[in-house]
Amino acid sequence: MNQFTEAAVARNPAAVQLLGLCPLLAVSNTVANALGLAIASTVVLTGSAVLISAIRKLIPEDVRLPCFVLVIATFTTLVNLAMEAYAFDLYQRIALFVQIIVTNCMILARIEQVASKEGLGRTLLDALGTSAGFAAAILILGAAREALTLGFPLAALPPGAFLVAGLLLAGVNVVAARLRRARDRAVMPLRE
Amino acid sequence: MRPLLRNVAALAALTLLAGTVLAWFAQVTEDEVASNRLEAELRILRELVGVEVGAGVGAPWRVRQRRADGALRDADLVLCERGLVVLRGAGDGYGGGFRLAVALNLDGAIKGVRVLEHAETPGFGDILNTPSEWLDSFTRGDVHAVTGATITSEAVMAAVSRAVNRTRLDEMCP
Repeated sequence: MNQFTEAAVARNPAAVQLLGLCPLLAVSNTVANALGLAIASTVVLTGSAVLISAIRKLIPEDVRLPCFVLVIATFTTLVNLAMEAYAFDLYQRIALFVQIIVTNCMILARIEQVASKEGLGRTLLDALGTSAGFAAAILILGAAREALTLGFPLAALPPGAFLVAGLLLAGVNVVAARLRRARDRAVMPLRE
Repeated sequence: MRPLLRNVAALAALTLLAGTVLAWFAQVTEDEVASNRLEAELRILRELVGVEVGAGVGAPWRVRQRRADGALRDADLVLCERGLVVLRGAGDGYGGGFRLAVALNLDGAIKGVRVLEHAETPGFGDILNTPSEWLDSFTRGDVHAVTGATITSEAVMAAVSRAVNRTRLDEMCP
């Protein structure tokens, strides 16, 4: 499994690591909002990770965290400004959650674990994989909530986010457990 | 001493770089952002006044007037021939300053109140976003502070009454 699929699937930030849940729950009320936040998160994560990987040898160990946060905050502000200038409707709906991307532990975790240690290629794949995994999670949740709203208005409201996300996570866990059992059974005879 | 210098130098260099990039990009997007904000404001006004507020009717909206005391302030929108004026109001809420527009019929009755810009906590500040049952209650002349958003709603009520009280309708539309 390469860096990309490992980051997107096996280590999916939302479904497996349960990171980035605040925007995931808050902005998944419609597919359009979810897509907007997914794109913003992708730009921030990929941009910050690549820049930090490029200058990782210049960043002193002691002050690496302030440096990481500074870079993430800069990219977040750039995305926020770009959205305010070129996608104002979207900005008015999700600006608050774009601004708090800066505190998203999913991004800081990828930078601390990968970008600050690895070269550009692996960092880029990991960042894109993590972004794709987050985008898939928020888009599925957004689509599910928007579809459910037709017969179940609560789905669009905050409690609906917890209910639908909980059910989706339970589903993911059931599938993952089945896959693990199937793999264990396939491996077992070899050990005998 | 050396590691300390190195840490300070790295942080300073990165901060300088970040500041430069942000200042440049803020300048690039400045005009676009300003016109988006104005457009959003005019959309709110159009819906409040019921006519197109643009180059013709709403032109004064962008003009800043010099008051008697010499200070500049944003102009009110005087639409006497349409039977109303739109007053500017401003105040400080819980999360920061806000600006609003009050449409007043020539008999002095409030036709509508819209908040143009605010920084109240999401959720609690939702009473300021159109459509708002609470803002509509100004037109019925029976306004109460909202539980959970006392500071916000009292600040808005005070700003509306300040705007209305400073206005001399008979001078604006003789």
